[in-house]
Amino acid sequence: MPILVSVNPANGISVPSRVSSPVIDIADLYKTYASGLRRRKVHALRGVDLQVSRGEALGILGPNGAGKTTLLKVLLGIVHPTSGSARLFGQPAGDPKARRRLGYLPENHRFPTYLTARQTLDVYGRLSDLSDEARRERIPRLLGDVGLASWEDTRVGKFSKGMMQRLGLAQALLSQPEVVILDEPTDGVDPVGRRDIRDRLRALKQTGTTVVINSHLLSEIELVCDRVLIMHKGRIIRSGTVDELARQGSGWRVEVDRLVPLFEPERWSASLEETGRAIVVEDGLPETLNALIDHLREEQVQIMGIERHRASLEAGFIDLITSQEDAS
Amino acid sequence: MTTLSGSLLLTFRELWAMRLTQAMLVIASLAWLLLSFALNMDVVEGSLAAVRIFGFDTTPTDGVFNEDTGEWMSQALSLDKFMIGINTFVFGAAYFLGTLLGLFATMPLINGFLEYGRIDLLLSKPLSRPRLLAGHLVGVWLTVLVLSSYLVGGVWLSLSFKTGVWMPMFLMAIPIITVMFAVMYAVILSFSIITRSSGLGLVITYGLIFFSIVLASHNQIVPVLSNTNAAIFMAFYHVLPNFIEVVGVQAQLVEGTVVTSWYPFISSLLFGFVTYGIGFFWFSRRDF
Repeated sequence: MPILVSVNPANGISVPSRVSSPVIDIADLYKTYASGLRRRKVHALRGVDLQVSRGEALGILGPNGAGKTTLLKVLLGIVHPTSGSARLFGQPAGDPKARRRLGYLPENHRFPTYLTARQTLDVYGRLSDLSDEARRERIPRLLGDVGLASWEDTRVGKFSKGMMQRLGLAQALLSQPEVVILDEPTDGVDPVGRRDIRDRLRALKQTGTTVVINSHLLSEIELVCDRVLIMHKGRIIRSGTVDELARQGSGWRVEVDRLVPLFEPERWSASLEETGRAIVVEDGLPETLNALIDHLREEQVQIMGIERHRASLEAGFIDLITSQEDAS
Repeated sequence: MTTLSGSLLLTFRELWAMRLTQAMLVIASLAWLLLSFALNMDVVEGSLAAVRIFGFDTTPTDGVFNEDTGEWMSQALSLDKFMIGINTFVFGAAYFLGTLLGLFATMPLINGFLEYGRIDLLLSKPLSRPRLLAGHLVGVWLTVLVLSSYLVGGVWLSLSFKTGVWMPMFLMAIPIITVMFAVMYAVILSFSIITRSSGLGLVITYGLIFFSIVLASHNQIVPVLSNTNAAIFMAFYHVLPNFIEVVGVQAQLVEGTVVTSWYPFISSLLFGFVTYGIGFFWFSRRDF
């Protein structure tokens, strides 16, 4: 599939995207909040450009206050942009017609505690303009899918955080949306529940549903998303596939039987693993690796193995954010 | 239409889940059960010869001196006056207590509606903001209409069957209570939307109700004020809701006399329209 690269002239960040008509199209989006009596300005979004294609799974990462939730809220029409444009299915974000094809799970969502799980989905199904027939058919099925079938007549007030998240996910999927936007979907969910939610999201992806996830759990994004955005202080500072982002800082991992005496990691741009049995060469240059091997062999060190070191998405994320913090 | 039904259903369920709504239904039931079974009246030639509550005679025993005949006579109550008295009492209780308690009861409703995590979920649904707010409002208004109809209608039926005196104008209490509640609800709702504090909204609403007691005495107060102060006072009188004076409108309706002025009711209604307009505007514009 051809790749479109759009570049934000303000920051020079390129944002690759598949060419098919984007379901989400954001251009030069700014959002500034004024807070307090002195109307102190907080720049939540500063010139965000983004296109998301049909069927894509996009993960949004960033530290607290990066503007991730604001970005999603602008898309949903919950927050009004200060300038720029945000379009869903070609219609301006905030247009109720566009939201008909969308499912949303907000962060820290609250359902009325006096409703049962079934009643909750019934009310939100009505609000999504679902017919009686569609609600009758989908509600029990979805409750089963998220593992709440036996809790359908229990009041939501008695649910644990994890159960609330599952119910929230069922609510987001109730209208069989073409785009699902999830803000911290596995927050408070136990590991088994997280796996179930991930499986559910993968299955959604396979059906061609566009999935946008905002999460602090980088491993989750890594496992579900095709593409990742990293936001910092209201800007997209990096965008690419998980592999592209994880490759940042890749190098070599050399496993040894023992470490040579007086080994100087800084000489090789290397670090030692905690086990003391492996050296990680950060710069990834073959010359450095070869020089290291020569040195190790001279010192009679047995090389047990050499492999390409792939930094995790988390490591890439932390490096990027740290470098941004240092730069500013 | 389905989206609106969802919004209505959510409001109804929330109101029903509140104990105060259920308590109001119980109180209304007790009120007309009391009038049906505990209140006994002996009506002789259109006059009330005896009134008993729970079997205890409460007929006035004091004699009345008839100046024409120069004799002391036993006091007989006019049935119509008795009915007007009872109806006015029920209206007053429903109007004041019902509105004050009702506004208090809706505070958590508004809190819940505007709460983060709830409002963003509602706003993500395919209905416009004015429609969402309208669904909430209609739900509240209908609930108040049902509660006031249940109380006033029940009392009216009970008394009318018992006495044979039918005073249909008493039923005007239903729209008056509902509309005036809606007017005062406009204040609490709009202030809650603007400030995101339903507590502040409630304080301001109660403040306006109590200030309307002062405004109702405008005929006595204005003459003692300077021209400037009198103009300011009358500006408040015309702009703010005249919650107290509306009681006079209902009293005249029940008595069957001509209503001397609908102005307090109409100006309150206009105040409600403007306040709802501000609330809707702000709700449509603000970020959540």
